[in-house]
Amino acid sequence: MTAAVETTARPRGTRPATEGRAEYLRLLVQPVLVLLLTVGVLTWALRRDLTVTQQASLNTSNIVTVTWQHILITATVVVIVVVIAVPLGTLLTRPGYRRLTPIFVGVANVGAAAPAIGLIVLCYLATRTTGFWIGVAPIAFYSLLPVLRNTILGYQQVDPVLIDAGRGQGMSAPTILRRIEFPLAVPYILAGLRTSLVLAVGTATLSFLVSAGGLGILIDTGYKLRDNVTLVVGAVLAVALALLVDWLGALAEQFLGPKGLR
Amino acid sequence: MRAARALAALLGTVLLAACGLQSGGAVPLRVGPAGIGPVPELGGVAITVGSKDFTEQNILGYLIEFALVAAGADVRDLTNIQGSNSLRDAQLHGQIDLAYDYTGTGWINYLGNETPIADEHEQFEALRAADLAAHHMVWTAMAPMNNTYALAVSRRVSEETGVRTLSDYARLVDTDPAAATTCVGTEFNVRQDGYPGMARKYGIDTGKVRKQIVQDAVVYQATADATQCRFGSVAATDGRIPGLDLVLLRDDRAFFPKYNAALVMSADFAEAHPAVAEIMTPISRLLTNETITELNRQVDVEGREPADVARDWMVAQGMVTKG
Repeated sequence: MTAAVETTARPRGTRPATEGRAEYLRLLVQPVLVLLLTVGVLTWALRRDLTVTQQASLNTSNIVTVTWQHILITATVVVIVVVIAVPLGTLLTRPGYRRLTPIFVGVANVGAAAPAIGLIVLCYLATRTTGFWIGVAPIAFYSLLPVLRNTILGYQQVDPVLIDAGRGQGMSAPTILRRIEFPLAVPYILAGLRTSLVLAVGTATLSFLVSAGGLGILIDTGYKLRDNVTLVVGAVLAVALALLVDWLGALAEQFLGPKGLR
Repeated sequence: MRAARALAALLGTVLLAACGLQSGGAVPLRVGPAGIGPVPELGGVAITVGSKDFTEQNILGYLIEFALVAAGADVRDLTNIQGSNSLRDAQLHGQIDLAYDYTGTGWINYLGNETPIADEHEQFEALRAADLAAHHMVWTAMAPMNNTYALAVSRRVSEETGVRTLSDYARLVDTDPAAATTCVGTEFNVRQDGYPGMARKYGIDTGKVRKQIVQDAVVYQATADATQCRFGSVAATDGRIPGLDLVLLRDDRAFFPKYNAALVMSADFAEAHPAVAEIMTPISRLLTNETITELNRQVDVEGREPADVARDWMVAQGMVTKG
């Protein structure tokens, strides 16, 4: 994971031209691949002679429902992660709070290192409730680290000379944060977010355990019934969704980064 | 050249090691002969016993192992294999000689039938004939225990609502859906011998049911808590049913398939060692729902080891001694 963060976290301006072209090509190819995977697996599955049991899982309305649940879980996780990790990372890089960084990064590390399935079950046992939020909260905790770590890293890599220059022009600390530090940290934050997104899509296949739904239902049903068609549909749709959100993340990196570095 | 020779030597060693490797481990506890005595025909015969990865299966696996050890066989332990399908594959490929499996699982999961047979003996006979013909597998020594699906409810909710049977449940869903919230496992949710079939048989309007899909293990606790699920899909002989004070709803229209435990082995193995079935038949006969549920409870609720529970029961029955 660290390797992925490091390679994707490099600000755009420092990239050689060939790498930029490859990135553009990927932006074009990836959605086509997502479309091919989705259409391919659905045609393959729905045009078969399905048994009544398979039809109970593999009908259009059920597939749409579980996919939508999966998207909803992923989106909620991302919102929670952004709302917590970005302000927290900003705070932890301000003078006076830097000492606390190891504590929070440590906690986030625990979240990322613990098995997601364990977090979900613990969350259920602690609250004795099932449902959407019990499925979402552990996954959010699990996906916190990449964004938090990258936010801190993003601020740390800002050239102190630029901050000095800001001060020299009479900018206050909040203005320096808003106009210099944050824009320069955005590419790093987005790279972390992209990693988080893909993690969230993958682990959301476990949230069905506590009645939060998602594509995990198809995977688990298929596995338990030795019904590979249902299993493959669930798994391939999850892969397509992961590729799709990764593509959205790449788009965001392309268009939300600081203009001067594009 | 030297490298090639070294490679050949290494390859030889690896191959040799692979031949020497045996799957499975030693039987975890020692037992001595008592009611089950040494059988000359089984003396020193290597037999691998398997089971699936849940409490009842572990206990059943150890029952076979201790019985065969008392009979003098050289038993290898391959209990706790992940899931029915893996156990079945291991049996079909000869990695496991012997295991307890369920007639309903054989008929529906392994042989791919969608409609079960209502009578347990007829179900057993049909399965035996079909599996022998299709895969040369022998089913024998069927036990009275029937680990089928059931709907469970906490004692409190049962008394509060007066729901005792599945017909009562169907009525409650119809009149007061909010009082009949139901947690089901993924598999039960789609199986034709699970929720969809049950709903058809009892005339339950699936659109009205407040149903949640959760992990099987969560169903028990959630049903006992009775806050979000007041009813839950369970396995009829699970030890957590008495442990959490749950009540099973009576299947008054005899919908659920029969899942009697029976011994499964390949036809070749059955022919070579007929003594195995002879030893196991009287043990199977003692395995009623009450007996196996109590043994399951000792593991799931009291936290005892399945091997200890299995051996203590056999000692109490006078079959073996603590060797």
